[in-house]
Amino acid sequence: MSEYLGEYKAVYKAKSACGDILGKAQDGGIVTSMFAYALEAGIIDGAIVAGPGAEPYKPEPMIATTIEELLAARGTKYSISPNMSLIKEATRSYGLDKIGIVGTPCQIQAVRKAQLYPIGLRDVPDKIALAIGIFCMENFPYQGLYQMVEDHCATKIDNVTKMDIGKGKFTVYTERGAHAEIPLKVTHKYEQPACHVCLDYVANMADISTGSVGTPDGWSTVMVRSKAGEAAFQKAVDAGWIVAESMDGVKPGLELVEKLAKTKIDNNRAYLEHRKHEGTLLKPLRSPYI
Amino acid sequence: MSKVVEISPTTRHEGHSKLVLKVNDEGIIERGDWLSITPVRGVEKLAIGKTYEQVPKIASRVCGICPIAHTLAATEAMEASMGVEIPDDAYLMRIILQAANRLHSHALHDILALPDMYLPGTDSKINPFSPEEPVRSVAKRIQTLRMIGQTIGEIVGGEAVHPSNTRVGGMYKNITPRAKAKIYDLAKQALPLAREQMEFMINVFENYGKRDWAEMCGREVAIPKDLGFHQQGYMATDPMYGSSSLDEHPTWDPSRWLEVRPWDWYMGEEEITLEDEAYPIGGTTKAGTKAWPQMQACTGVPLYDGQPIEVGPRARQAIFKNYDRKGAIGLNIAREMEYMDSVYKMIEAVDALNTSGSTVADVIPQGDGSIGWASNEAPRGSDVHLAKVRNGKVEWFSMLVPTTWNFPTCSRALTGAPWELAEVIVRAYDPCVSCATHMIVLDEDNKLVAQKLLE
Repeated sequence: MSEYLGEYKAVYKAKSACGDILGKAQDGGIVTSMFAYALEAGIIDGAIVAGPGAEPYKPEPMIATTIEELLAARGTKYSISPNMSLIKEATRSYGLDKIGIVGTPCQIQAVRKAQLYPIGLRDVPDKIALAIGIFCMENFPYQGLYQMVEDHCATKIDNVTKMDIGKGKFTVYTERGAHAEIPLKVTHKYEQPACHVCLDYVANMADISTGSVGTPDGWSTVMVRSKAGEAAFQKAVDAGWIVAESMDGVKPGLELVEKLAKTKIDNNRAYLEHRKHEGTLLKPLRSPYI
Repeated sequence: MSKVVEISPTTRHEGHSKLVLKVNDEGIIERGDWLSITPVRGVEKLAIGKTYEQVPKIASRVCGICPIAHTLAATEAMEASMGVEIPDDAYLMRIILQAANRLHSHALHDILALPDMYLPGTDSKINPFSPEEPVRSVAKRIQTLRMIGQTIGEIVGGEAVHPSNTRVGGMYKNITPRAKAKIYDLAKQALPLAREQMEFMINVFENYGKRDWAEMCGREVAIPKDLGFHQQGYMATDPMYGSSSLDEHPTWDPSRWLEVRPWDWYMGEEEITLEDEAYPIGGTTKAGTKAWPQMQACTGVPLYDGQPIEVGPRARQAIFKNYDRKGAIGLNIAREMEYMDSVYKMIEAVDALNTSGSTVADVIPQGDGSIGWASNEAPRGSDVHLAKVRNGKVEWFSMLVPTTWNFPTCSRALTGAPWELAEVIVRAYDPCVSCATHMIVLDEDNKLVAQKLLE
């Protein structure tokens, strides 16, 4: 238990043991491998993931019921994919009984809130089997992302093979091997304003949270939080889908995760405080936490 | 010297209604009135000026037991007025939805009807919530059947209560092959359960029909052999689904239908002169109270060829299968006999459904104000909705729902029965009262005037 990282049972340095998945994965391919294993093992019968949309890097939520569909959705998209919008449809025309869902911390909060107050979500709460959260500092609207890539990085977005945020930089890689990077400072103005009131960095309410921060390249940090998450992760490791190692001695390790979480949350708390005086006509802006 | 007894409210059915009964010295009903006292919903007036997409959604909100029937009837009434032909796969999905609704609703009725009945071979009434066998496994079976009906309704309709997937022009979304497989499995699971349930219930109802007495108000009340018999006719539009004015051979004729005020068909003001504190629950209305069925009835009285008629499971079977069992027991048995077909039809329709087929009509005309009607064979009988749509807006909308038809018919079926068993007859109709409430029109002197319906 930590003020900034929430409650968790265990934390690992992990990566997928499956070459197919790692090939195009963001880091350790944990989300894809976990869902692929859970599909195979019958823990879930479908997963709501950020699939490819009509335009490059504009994700659209999709329900993957096969490993092939999961593979199509590999990799991080830095624009929001409204995965919660499919949570009800998954139990309806898709006929799923055990749903996996991946989401940013705010989306996982929505999952839990929906389970607590299932208004308009009859027979949905008990069908959510595995919620995987991803570490999230902030998110970009598609137009913002487009401008960062096309204008700041001077790269055609259609040619981009991977985007990455790490070590204080936003980097895009292209098919031809070229890559462009810009300091994160430049990207701040493109962030979604709502991200600045978010007090969650590592998806505190997920069954499993994962992200690249804290572990070397090609690996992911995995925080196992719930009983369901613990059981599923352990089985995936035992079945050889995921390689997991202790975080002891890993550099930069959990300290960096905590440091970034602290940065995000403290900054956003300060912004929430600021909002009290920001409104016009002496009216404070609404706090999202009341 | 006849006395008047009032049972208000009646229990173990949906909605709010009461019985005003004129009985002779032996307690036998000479004249009975069963009337809705649910406040007017006003859905038909709310509909005016709304778009054709909104009205079926509003109409379904009239009730939570058969919203599927109301959604389908209202949607198809819009389609009938506008002349929309829906794709085959959308039609198949609607049939699955219809069958799922019937399965769940009939199972629910069993729970409501069982407490009147006796375990065959004993003198003990059935408490469906008792943890003892054989009742516990019957209750579990009923809930499983309802679960199956509701789950299938959810998959196909998007929502078991107030389906969201239906739309004018077909269905918003087709289902996935996985969902199709799930429906198939659920229907296969329901098949043996429905058969067992049907056989158990028929046995229970037959047993009641053979009994000489039933215990009511702490005494033995003789059960007449003609419990719930009436001379009125039957009306049904299809054994399973329904009919609409778009059909080549419509099975309902609006020119034979007339709706009149309750003033003509119900009793005038009466004083209650008989009361019984032992009647469940809390006794009958106190003597000295006044009842005025003519004014208190919240329904219109729909007539077919100038007479009240019966709609529902028995009407469907009488018209399409020459079923001839009369009375309350006959009606209950007819309902049980519909279990199997709702499962078979579901399996047949899901088998024929093409999950990659289109479910929305290519062309949706916006309506020229002509009248269209659609009848849906709801669990309780023909639910006829009529509409006029012009340029995408609803100009006029009317709902003729099953229990509205059954109110005056059932009132006639009460004659000749002991008043203590009047509710047994009423429950045989599986009444669903809230949608049966109709808009009424008052003139300057606050007197009810007949609605002018079909111009």
